Amino acid sequence: MRKEKLFKSRFRGTLLSRYLLIILFALLFIPVIFPASLVGYQLVQGLVFGNVFTKPQVEDERYQTLNLEKMWHKEAKALKGKTPEQIDAKISELNADYPKVDMFWVDADSRVRKPENSRLDLPSTWSTADAISYMKHYRESTEQFSVIAFIGDDEKLNEGFMVLQASRSALTPSSNDFSARESMIFFGIILLMFVLFIAVSWMFFVNMRRRLLRLQSAMTVQNDSGLPEPIVVKKTDEIGQLEDAFNGMVHQLSSSLKREREEEELRKRLIANLSHDLRTPLTVVRSHVFSLQKEQLSDKGRELLKLTETKLGDLSGLIDNLLSYNLLTSGKYTLHPESKDVLRIVRESAAAWYPLWEKEGFEVDIDLPEEPLFWSVDAQWFRRILDNLFQNVVRHAHSGQYIGIHAGAGAEGQTAIVISDKGKGMQASSGDKGAGIGLAIVGFLTREMGLIMDISSTSGGTSILIYPASDSEPGLKLKDRV
Amino acid sequence: MGIHLLYIEDDAEIGTWVNEDLSGRGYEVTWLQSGEHAVEKAATSRLVILDVMLPGLDGFTVGQRLKKAYPDLPILMLSARTSIDDKLEGLQFADDYLTKPFHPDELAARIEVLLRRSGSFSSEPLVLKHLLVYERENRIVNNDTSEEILLTGKQFQIFTYLIRHLGQILTKEQIYEGVWGDPYLDGDKTLMVHIRYLREKLERDPANPEIVETIRGVGYRVKA
Repeated sequence: MRKEKLFKSRFRGTLLSRYLLIILFALLFIPVIFPASLVGYQLVQGLVFGNVFTKPQVEDERYQTLNLEKMWHKEAKALKGKTPEQIDAKISELNADYPKVDMFWVDADSRVRKPENSRLDLPSTWSTADAISYMKHYRESTEQFSVIAFIGDDEKLNEGFMVLQASRSALTPSSNDFSARESMIFFGIILLMFVLFIAVSWMFFVNMRRRLLRLQSAMTVQNDSGLPEPIVVKKTDEIGQLEDAFNGMVHQLSSSLKREREEEELRKRLIANLSHDLRTPLTVVRSHVFSLQKEQLSDKGRELLKLTETKLGDLSGLIDNLLSYNLLTSGKYTLHPESKDVLRIVRESAAAWYPLWEKEGFEVDIDLPEEPLFWSVDAQWFRRILDNLFQNVVRHAHSGQYIGIHAGAGAEGQTAIVISDKGKGMQASSGDKGAGIGLAIVGFLTREMGLIMDISSTSGGTSILIYPASDSEPGLKLKDRV
Repeated sequence: MGIHLLYIEDDAEIGTWVNEDLSGRGYEVTWLQSGEHAVEKAATSRLVILDVMLPGLDGFTVGQRLKKAYPDLPILMLSARTSIDDKLEGLQFADDYLTKPFHPDELAARIEVLLRRSGSFSSEPLVLKHLLVYERENRIVNNDTSEEILLTGKQFQIFTYLIRHLGQILTKEQIYEGVWGDPYLDGDKTLMVHIRYLREKLERDPANPEIVETIRGVGYRVKA
């Protein structure tokens, strides 16, 4: 019972049920709609021509030939044994009742007797030849109708006979006119039904299509957090269920996005705290080194302190890179690329590094075009790429005492940023390890931002080209001789 | 009496060291180990040095409270955290940011720049080669001739902007946007024209400028 109910409620209002209804409608077209249209015709006629079911129909029934015949014989039977005057009176009365027909009677003496206002042109006496001629004329005629009854409805009584005659067209309306009008209306209704059927089917599919398109657009439009918005479910049919499922999916997506963000936040906080815990003692050590430098020390002591300070700086950079690398590669930190003038970023970054290069006695050769160069990059991380590269030059190419920043051409002729030094090349040991993680970050970041970095290094110097990838795989490319 | 600085740092060793170093440089330092009474103490300070990681109230909250109470008081954030988000969060109210471990000279330089930018000038003139710049009075005197140098509005604004970032290299875009307040349009020669006239007034030899230095390919710098 419950199952049946469930089935009913599931079936009701579904697309399938509505489609079946339309099909059923189509199947019932011939056996039901045709007769129905007939009824419809009569209704229409009733409304348009009026009084179809009232008087005219009663009159029609009275004037129907069968009814006239029955009536005539009944009246004849009733006139048995009546005097001619009485019969005259009855005939006159009947004729008044049936004005559309003509009546007369022939008495036992073959005299023709007719009502006073009769339109008939008849001989005064009715011979046997007249009777035969009359009967022949009326029986053969398709347009004329007549009923002949013996008075008392018995030939043997020999009391005469009575005749009712009429033109058939006067009894019933013209059958030709009737069928022409009827068929026009009838086919009109059929046509209307067809149009209705097509309209209903068309609306059914248009409505379905519209709802599917709405769902499609809801899937493609994204809100601020990059997720589609849930949609309002209005019906519980199959598409409604699909919309429900879609909303459920959006909900799941947004909750997993939220979870992911929370994880990202947690991870960032952990790394930030770890960084803090590592750097605080480093700062303390450094503060002691600075304090020591103010003391009276031997040359050896001073040299050792200088070395300690340098190593502290390296360690700090290493911690920074290690944590950044962890953050980046875990996929928990997303880049936000925007169209930026990278030359401006390069100039600003170089401006920050310039005092150090100056202090280290580097020859700084910067020659960048005036026109801006727009690449799609995350400015913060693009600075990190430059910082790592500039730092590598200071640490590992110190002997060259040179840094060059120019515009060049990439593999496919794109404008590239070229950072060059005159160090001993990457193969040579600078006695200062730690470039690995820095370059790994640079490689990761360039790939993520769709940039290519070509590195060519010889014993006479290293040259690094950065340019946007066109179709080849972005990332770090170490050329030969590295 | 030196300039009063408020220093908020929970780590005793680092705090002692920075306190001694800054006092040694002539600043009067009030060192707090938590952010509890920062707002009251900051009333007489000209600059706040604030550590991010503090017990109780964290550095960001303290910084935001300070900025609300004294919108013009420069705040220098000091942090051992390097996460990029920290920098962004901090810089919403902080005027500068320095990561641990730092060199005391760098800290001193940043403090000087911030004080200059916030208009906390000393009464002593700034000596730039042959120029004496009286920042309080907006007056520049040529020490060679003892004559006052008169600059036009824009020349003065550019020179002030460079002095407020003394020792820093500024790109053309930064100067233009700092002085005009509009985004720099590439190929705009306006700034270069103004700098040429500025040099004609300031430099001993405008062809070899010593005051407004050109850093080729990068920008300009005024160095003490």
